[in-house]
Amino acid sequence: MTAPAAASATAGYQPDARFMDELFEPDGTPRPVARALVDALEHLGPDGLVEAGRRRDAIFVAQAITFETKGDGGSTHERPFPLDLVPRILSADEWVAIKRGLAQRIRALNHFVDDVYHGREIIREGIVPWLLVASCPHFERAVHDIHSPGGVYTHVAGCDLVRDRDGTWRVLEDNVRVPSGVSYVLENRAAMARLVPELFARYPVRPVDHYPQLLLRALRAMAPSAASEATVVVWTPGPANPAYFEHAFLARQMGVELVEASDLVVRDEMLYLRTTRGLERAHTVYRRLDDGFIDPLSFRPDSLLGVPGLIRAYRAGNVAIANAPGTGVADDKAIYRFVPDMIRFYLSEEPILHNVETYLLSDPEVLEYVLARLDTLVVKPTGESGGRGVLIGPNAEEAEIEHMRGVLRSDPGRWIAQDLVSLSTVPTIDGDGSLHPRHVDLRPFAVFGERIDIVPGGLTRVALQEGSLIVNSSQGGGSKDTWVLADGEDSEPQVSPLAEPTAQELPDLPDLRFGQWTDQQQQQQQSKQQSGQASD
Amino acid sequence: MLARIARELYWLGRNLARAEFTARAVEAVFQSELHGAFDSPSVTFGAGGLLAMLGAFDDTQPTGTEALAQLTLDAARPGSMLASVERARDGASTVRDVISAEMWEAINITALGLRGGGQPGWAAASGPYLSSQYVKERTALIWGVAGRSMLRDEAKCFLDAGGLIEVSDMVLRMLRVALPGPDSPRADGYAPILLKAVGGLHAYLRAVTSPPNAHPVARFLLFERAYPDSVAACVDSLHAAFTAADSGPRNSTPVLRVSRLAADLDFQRRALPDGAELTSICERTQQELARIDQDVAERYFAGAAAPGAWN
Repeated sequence: MTAPAAASATAGYQPDARFMDELFEPDGTPRPVARALVDALEHLGPDGLVEAGRRRDAIFVAQAITFETKGDGGSTHERPFPLDLVPRILSADEWVAIKRGLAQRIRALNHFVDDVYHGREIIREGIVPWLLVASCPHFERAVHDIHSPGGVYTHVAGCDLVRDRDGTWRVLEDNVRVPSGVSYVLENRAAMARLVPELFARYPVRPVDHYPQLLLRALRAMAPSAASEATVVVWTPGPANPAYFEHAFLARQMGVELVEASDLVVRDEMLYLRTTRGLERAHTVYRRLDDGFIDPLSFRPDSLLGVPGLIRAYRAGNVAIANAPGTGVADDKAIYRFVPDMIRFYLSEEPILHNVETYLLSDPEVLEYVLARLDTLVVKPTGESGGRGVLIGPNAEEAEIEHMRGVLRSDPGRWIAQDLVSLSTVPTIDGDGSLHPRHVDLRPFAVFGERIDIVPGGLTRVALQEGSLIVNSSQGGGSKDTWVLADGEDSEPQVSPLAEPTAQELPDLPDLRFGQWTDQQQQQQQSKQQSGQASD
Repeated sequence: MLARIARELYWLGRNLARAEFTARAVEAVFQSELHGAFDSPSVTFGAGGLLAMLGAFDDTQPTGTEALAQLTLDAARPGSMLASVERARDGASTVRDVISAEMWEAINITALGLRGGGQPGWAAASGPYLSSQYVKERTALIWGVAGRSMLRDEAKCFLDAGGLIEVSDMVLRMLRVALPGPDSPRADGYAPILLKAVGGLHAYLRAVTSPPNAHPVARFLLFERAYPDSVAACVDSLHAAFTAADSGPRNSTPVLRVSRLAADLDFQRRALPDGAELTSICERTQQELARIDQDVAERYFAGAAAPGAWN
């Protein structure tokens, strides 16, 4: 062992008073829900945790569950997906509130996508400015007036939630294009159950591994009418994509084909797969690449990853696409500010989950307000994802802030500013097996088919650097298993030992020795048999 | 070949298959026991069910994960992986002239490794994952070596036959213990656990389009000939093995019985509507397999019964 292990895993743990710690009270004692977990961690000890971490890396490398990270100078390298072995615990009540809030929000976002490409009621009502929608990089004119089957556009959604200092859950970002990470939710759980089953002992943790079946059911439900069972495929840009592991994982777990563009072809507004038995029709495509690449005839003409004619087949209603092209307009960082208004407008409900206060800089007054307070705010580019280009005011150098002021003045429309959220912390294991508070967020995954299903928990991402607020795995973040506790323990039904068989009998076998068969051929066999027995 | 040798090989096959099945089932049941219930009604197959089907169920012993731990490395429990592997090793040591040196070595190392060099519980520190994984890998290796290095003669047929009858028996026992009754609200509940316990989830997802609920899963495990561990596939292969091993297959009771069972399974597959109740077929098929086992002992092993502790 390189680093000397601490004597106790949790003894020296001190939550940071500026943030909420989810497992420990501010005075350093475990919260009631975490007591059994802390006991189990104590029992494992720092050595046990370090050892389990070593086995975790070996398992992940053996199964090739790795993540590509960009090092300095743009070089990339593969490392085992960093799973922290201390889980995050959500009580049943907390989860119900999150689940209801997310379902409400996703319903509203889905209404918005439908509205923006059809009636545009919300714009005529003056709630969302048209200029903002039309200037949104993911607003796709090519899908104007196309109806998705069942009226669902945002089939798969992943919203990023964070927890404020007082414990309030807030939505930091919506993601209704191609949210990724769900495979890590399932793999994390499987790895945790193998590596540290002791931790589960006193918690009824809700299972997560039915997600692929929920997704498959939703994808089948949206398929255009088919003579036989609908053919569903997962469409990946290819093995070079950082999320390729997840694409292959979902296809395998659903038992469907993983396809690339060269496997797909459109003929007469129908989508086909090239198979060893000729062309076979595909009904539903779960695509894992951005709108811009899916059809060179409708979107970027230079896309080599796309299938020419796909949008025409989609418009004709011969193929269903999840998520529907054009949904990116709903998770734009500038549109985000209007989601609570959407919920009130479309659903006539009050939002259950709150937004983080957001400033649109296209308004000159707001811009001036923001520029004056830049050292207390977070600034994000609207067109980027994965934590790229984000400036966190309180952590930035004066020179960086000054530079950002110039950028914002020259092109305010491409940026938004948000209040800084004091992300909650959860104890996280260090290299020597001791625990330290690290910031986390939560991305639950929802599937919108005939109804909205949300897998209990989701992906908890954790910033592994002390004090860091960037949790994206492409930027050195890790993850945690997220436990949603069941209400009460379901008792296992009583099992009794096998009863004596009583089933009806098959008819008697013919008596081979004396021969009761009447058929001629059988008589021949019988005589053979008798001669055989004579020679025994 | 000698009846004794044939019998040892047959039971070697059964013990290896039992160890492998136990490894998969213990791991799957352990994983599912860690978790709470699904949203939708689902089929439960827990530690109690596994113990019941392995015949190791009694009122005095602990339940839950503790009981599962005993199914891994507790040599005193006849149902444990270690006990199965030890029985296989004992059997193999008496037929070392028939099996190849390579195969003997593979079996021997498996037993030694699982004992952990005199440190019992080496792999139990964090649940059954490590020991289950080890047994799965080693049994795959043993069957692979057997396939590559053994002559395809009677000896191989009896080895295979033992493995096949054990796999189908285990699958049937599991279905009988785990399938809910027709009136239960979980009658067609979510049942991926039954597939995980035999390592067949992926095969199921590739072959069947409906979600892994109790009815289609039971049909798959009983009737799907393309899946090697289904009862129908095992019975087919069993028929092939006995036909090849028997000096007069046309008038051999075990061959006849196996072929009638194969035909019955095929008939039931076609005749039974989707969602039909399957437990009585499981029961009947299991009974029939038990009779086949007796027939085999009578016809090939000069009437000798199972060696050592067996349930």
